[in-house]
Amino acid sequence: MSERIAEHPILGTQEKGKEVSFTYDGKQLKGYEGEPVAVALKAAGVMVHRYTAKRHEPRGIFCAIGRCTDCVMVVDGVPNVRTCITPLKEGMDVRTQAGCTAAESEDRP
Amino acid sequence: MKRYDLIIVGAGPAGLSAAIEAAKRGIKTVVFDENSRPGGQLFKQIHKFFGSKEHRAKIRGYVIGGQLLDEARKSGVEVILDATVIGLYQDREVVVKLGEAIHHFKGNAVIVATGASENMINFPGWTLPGVIGAGAAQTMLNLHGVLPGKRVLMLGSGNVGLVVSFQLMQCGCEVAAIVDAAPRVGGYGVHASKVARTGVPFYLSHTIVKAEGYDHVTGVTIAEVDEHFSFIPGTEKHFDVDTICLAVGLSPMSQLLKMAGCKMSDDPKKGGQVPICDTYGRTSLSGIFAAGDVSAIEEASSAMIEGRMAGVCAAEYLGYIDEEEEKKELAELDDALNGLRQGMFAPGNRGKAIEKTEEGIDISKNLLKNGFVAEDEIERYPGVTHREGIHPVIECTQNIPCNPCQDACRQGCISIGDKITSLPIVTKDSKCTGCGMCVASCSGQAIFLVNEDCGDGSATVTLPYEFLPLPEEGSKGIGLGRDGKKVCDAEVVSVRSLDVYDKTNLLTMRVPKEYAMKARFFRKA
Repeated sequence: MSERIAEHPILGTQEKGKEVSFTYDGKQLKGYEGEPVAVALKAAGVMVHRYTAKRHEPRGIFCAIGRCTDCVMVVDGVPNVRTCITPLKEGMDVRTQAGCTAAESEDRP
Repeated sequence: MKRYDLIIVGAGPAGLSAAIEAAKRGIKTVVFDENSRPGGQLFKQIHKFFGSKEHRAKIRGYVIGGQLLDEARKSGVEVILDATVIGLYQDREVVVKLGEAIHHFKGNAVIVATGASENMINFPGWTLPGVIGAGAAQTMLNLHGVLPGKRVLMLGSGNVGLVVSFQLMQCGCEVAAIVDAAPRVGGYGVHASKVARTGVPFYLSHTIVKAEGYDHVTGVTIAEVDEHFSFIPGTEKHFDVDTICLAVGLSPMSQLLKMAGCKMSDDPKKGGQVPICDTYGRTSLSGIFAAGDVSAIEEASSAMIEGRMAGVCAAEYLGYIDEEEEKKELAELDDALNGLRQGMFAPGNRGKAIEKTEEGIDISKNLLKNGFVAEDEIERYPGVTHREGIHPVIECTQNIPCNPCQDACRQGCISIGDKITSLPIVTKDSKCTGCGMCVASCSGQAIFLVNEDCGDGSATVTLPYEFLPLPEEGSKGIGLGRDGKKVCDAEVVSVRSLDVYDKTNLLTMRVPKEYAMKARFFRKA
């Protein structure tokens, strides 16, 4: 499990937005409004964001600045959303992506 | 189509600096940035910067970011965020994605300051979740306050790898090892030393064999490589880690310039595909300028000066200043930039093995191989001297452009001289008061205050300390050597955290006097 940094020796305590609820593959999770979806998932210990289309290999955060597209997921029904630069909102529905579309894959491992 | 005098792409250190120069001359300027906050990577830089006063040395990167934003605001720069520039066409037509819509703008001049992106390197398992860029680690830690993992292996011993390793530890992560296929540490020796003295091992001439794990990283195997970068069988080493950070260089994001038709060159010394431009960022196309990492990988301090240069050139191009004023302004900026491009790590020295300092002293071989200066090497540097009473010991052993220590001491104990890369020397007949300003001002955390003989068989060593929890006075523990291994028992006699130290705490520990020149870090028992 990953953790949030409570106090930083240089930055002190980092300000966060208000706490919001969202779902991850149907499970209720909490995060802070406005932080990237990927950060809220990371804080909850989620490592796998999607499985690749051909070989069903897991992918997660790689660059964290919206460049590599490894962290894309299905967010509110829309596939290929870069979760590392998408701000978290109350009630978001975040799902692990299989391949390149929003469809649930039957042969997901 | 909206027209601007000047369109700048990228609101990082180069883009903002360019915008400030332009806007203060009355030029109608807009800056587009794809991110939701401006500042580029500056807000992730929490260490004190190198250089001299004019380069904002000893100020932490994120503070410099704040200063730039303030200046930009005051000079009336318009910054449009969440604006991805997707095209740069003939006659400086700039195409921008704003939300789900595409907008067209025209710039009488355009400055491209798009920066760079991280390189990656592949090995079996490199796509596993848990293998991340070092920049990603920095983003998670310093912008979003979340740990990328608990136990990390860092691949790459350049400044990014070293600085991010230190930042991981500042957040409570354990760094299992720093690994580099090159035979020598690539970054500043002082950055390596501050990591090594906490006990992080360096594996030079090693690289990753494979990342292990089923759906995320659970371990990594590294092995030694020969001079052809082939693995040497039997040298494999395994680490249980949950994260592997890749700090294997940066590449300029010069696609827009190429798209616009600028003449390009493939220059490994500059980091890859870069526009061919003059010293001030004028590309082969009139009215299009480049500034910062997009034209050659350097660092934020030089990017800010290059940005200002491009801003001045654009002002002249647009007729807001004449050639004479441009010349004068550029000459001043030239001096500032040349100051930063001196020393062993200067762009011109990239890839060269330097054996001696400018003073003719042998470079520490141990520093390049293991990340710290060995005991039998440290005495040969001019900052390392002995005297009665408290005095600074400056373990600065490479010529880098940096001089805040010389101004920090009001007693005049420390001298670098006019040449910014010279190794600092401790002046004779000066009286150290133990104020600690030199310790806190050294961006490389390489200065210690030592009283080698307190008269009772003990010595005191004052060291920079930027970790939590901060040990309390009276804490008992161990003194660690430059190699991060235990050398003696130690007790904390004072911890000073003044505002002027800017979050570098000064920890003073008492050690047996024979360890005065050996103990360089404290760990609580």
